[in-house]
Amino acid sequence: MIGRYRALRRAGLLGINERNLRLVNELNPRRLIRLVDDKRETKRLAMAAGIPTPELYGVIANPFHMRHLESYLDKPDGVVIKPANGSQGNGIQVLMEPMRGGWRRSNGQRAMLEDIRFHVNNILSGMYSLSGQPDVAMFEYRVKFDEIFNPISFGGVPDIRIIVVRGIPAVAMVRLPTAESDGKANLHKGGVGVGLDLVTGKTLSGMQNGKTTDIHPDTANPLKNFSVPHWDAMLEMAAKAYDVTGLGYLGADIVLDKGKGPLLLELNARPGLAIQIANRIGIRPLLNATLEADTEGMDALARVELARKLYRQNVPEVV
Amino acid sequence: MNSFTHTRLLALLLTVIGLSIFATKVVRYDYPLSPGARTTTWDFEIYLDFDTNNQPVRLETFIPSNSESRRVSQEQFYNGAFGLRLDTKSAEGRTAIWTYRYPNDRKVLRYRARLVGETESTPLPEGMHRKLQRAAPETENDLERQAFLVWSTDLRRRSADDESLADLVLQEIFVDEDVDEVEALLSPTLPSSISRLALARDVLTAQGIPARVANGIYLDQARRRAEIHHWLEYYADGADHRYFPGLDPEEFFTIWHGTDDFIRAEGISDLDLQVSIEPVNAAVADVAQRVARDEGSAMQWFGFNRLPITTQLVYQVIVTIPVGILMLVFLRQFIGLQTLGTFMPVLIGIAFRETALLNGIILFTALIALGLAVRFYLERLKLLLVPRLATVVVFIVICMAVVAQLMSNTGQRIGLSISLFPMVILTMTIERMSIVWEEYSATDAIKQGLGSLLVASAAYLVMTNPTVEYFMFNFPELLLVIMAICLLMGKYTGLRLSELIRFRELDTRK
Repeated sequence: MIGRYRALRRAGLLGINERNLRLVNELNPRRLIRLVDDKRETKRLAMAAGIPTPELYGVIANPFHMRHLESYLDKPDGVVIKPANGSQGNGIQVLMEPMRGGWRRSNGQRAMLEDIRFHVNNILSGMYSLSGQPDVAMFEYRVKFDEIFNPISFGGVPDIRIIVVRGIPAVAMVRLPTAESDGKANLHKGGVGVGLDLVTGKTLSGMQNGKTTDIHPDTANPLKNFSVPHWDAMLEMAAKAYDVTGLGYLGADIVLDKGKGPLLLELNARPGLAIQIANRIGIRPLLNATLEADTEGMDALARVELARKLYRQNVPEVV
Repeated sequence: MNSFTHTRLLALLLTVIGLSIFATKVVRYDYPLSPGARTTTWDFEIYLDFDTNNQPVRLETFIPSNSESRRVSQEQFYNGAFGLRLDTKSAEGRTAIWTYRYPNDRKVLRYRARLVGETESTPLPEGMHRKLQRAAPETENDLERQAFLVWSTDLRRRSADDESLADLVLQEIFVDEDVDEVEALLSPTLPSSISRLALARDVLTAQGIPARVANGIYLDQARRRAEIHHWLEYYADGADHRYFPGLDPEEFFTIWHGTDDFIRAEGISDLDLQVSIEPVNAAVADVAQRVARDEGSAMQWFGFNRLPITTQLVYQVIVTIPVGILMLVFLRQFIGLQTLGTFMPVLIGIAFRETALLNGIILFTALIALGLAVRFYLERLKLLLVPRLATVVVFIVICMAVVAQLMSNTGQRIGLSISLFPMVILTMTIERMSIVWEEYSATDAIKQGLGSLLVASAAYLVMTNPTVEYFMFNFPELLLVIMAICLLMGKYTGLRLSELIRFRELDTRK
């Protein structure tokens, strides 16, 4: 046990306690966290700063708005329903397209209007919100994801998570849906996380359920050496997210749409630590360097350059 | 000053203050450091809370008195504006008489004392050892007198000596059901239990056996509302006897004799009477005496001994909660156990006090499982959140009522105690668990449920540990030290035990 503790410390592993103290508490003032807990607010900020996000079709904030439900759902390309204050992907329902008597969900099952109304009611009553407070349901453009990840994903939308510290992108990974995760890209539901080289945007090795893996469990294709398109744009979006929110520690979740390019899905003020397993590195040395770096007067682009430099200095290159 | 130094200095300051008060108590005032052996000393309190109706009030109550066999010490009366007179002449017992001519609203009167209890082997007073003349009962009703004489003559014929006569009397009055003579002779003006005792006394004294009804309390365990019990004392064939209807107590204390009411009052209504008892450990008794002796010294402010007993009993529980919380913080920050809700496990741990550990765990698990089943069934009805929660609460109440019934049928005592098991905590646990169940996985839900149970058990064991109870109650300044430890744990940035497993893949040692 003590040997393991020492080895993990030597590998530069960041633990939850230290993340909470040095990153969340120090860099994310509570009043700012509110901005990203409410996804409507995040969307508004992002749009003002020119960061592209999926289009918002409408919002149901109380039972009175429920009469708009069918018009919000009436989209031939499908729609995503999510709680504005949800966390960890809880309460998100993806409707692919209308079908006879209802809508086809991302897992192929049919959702009836009554099911959807019940789900929206649950959202309104606060079932998925962080503290059980009454919440708001959002109806959004369903992302038609780029086919680049098709060989290594199974149903649903892969997304890219970039952790940004003081406006400097630090580590990144791709989260891939699997059969086990029911088309969702959440790691705790069984999605696969694949580390990304921050400089090149190329995939490294991956992890699923806390164990490292080199192939996708469903398609059996190797995870390595996919180049994420629009990588520079994504890094810049992530760096800009710091400017609009002021959060010193945040996770930017970005999806890649076939037509619209990268879209910012949401921001997370307490991004998790599994990204270290996906990248097979402890991020403490990189983090310390990022925390000490001088960013005085730098804009988002300059910070992306700095990020690449710091990354190369602190993370051994994988050949 | 950065926040690390700040925290450490604050923790140091708190520790120094806490430990210096502790050290002063131990070194300067000789407070004992261990609970010590139990003695037969009890703190006793009568608490009267009543509405005066704005008219003159006269309230009499029997209070414990010293005798050959009983000891009362450290008596205190809390009279407020009332006049107090003690009547010590009556043979039945010592009476406190509180009076007040112009009262208003509700008033509270209190009497406290420390008692040394009696046991079955405690001898009856000399006055009881004098054999009486046989005499006819004093009653105006001829029919009753006739019945009484016939019955007692019959009893006398069927017995051999005083002792077997007394046994026979008690058998017919208390054990055999529906003995016609007994039913006819019971006094209709007294409560049933006392009237039977009074009848037994009358029959025995009529047969020349000294007997009297005694009233008092059983000293078995700390009680916030102790019951007044009644029993019979008699002297037959040169030996002392006591007859307790129901179970025999190991230790008891006689407050008064005869069939008078405990409290006699004029001009009041809505009386709330609490008789509380609490065993005093020898060492605690020392502490209390020390406090009394050092009256006016600063140390008495760092303890609870001056509060009323009912309040003391509550604080005895409250001051152990921080120790449970300390445990919880440790298990969460250093071990990384996942629990449902932040302090919920400690609350569950407090609930275990009512049920004892094993019963508590069984009940907790069973109720949660049942509640979850109902919760999942309700899912199909597609109800709104709050009404659904309410339905689960009602279901839990029904379950608890059923459990109480089952337990009382099988003679288990926990049936009664679970009534205090906080069901709102149970319901919230069920709701959180079901959300985790749906949104994460059954494994996560069960893992967190087990985590909660584990933390609750650990907190319970720590909070009910006699040494912990003793130290926290008598040295509450240690709360400052606990606070300091919490502060320091709040700055721990190392890895958790659970993270050693979670990130095992990053352990590159070969």
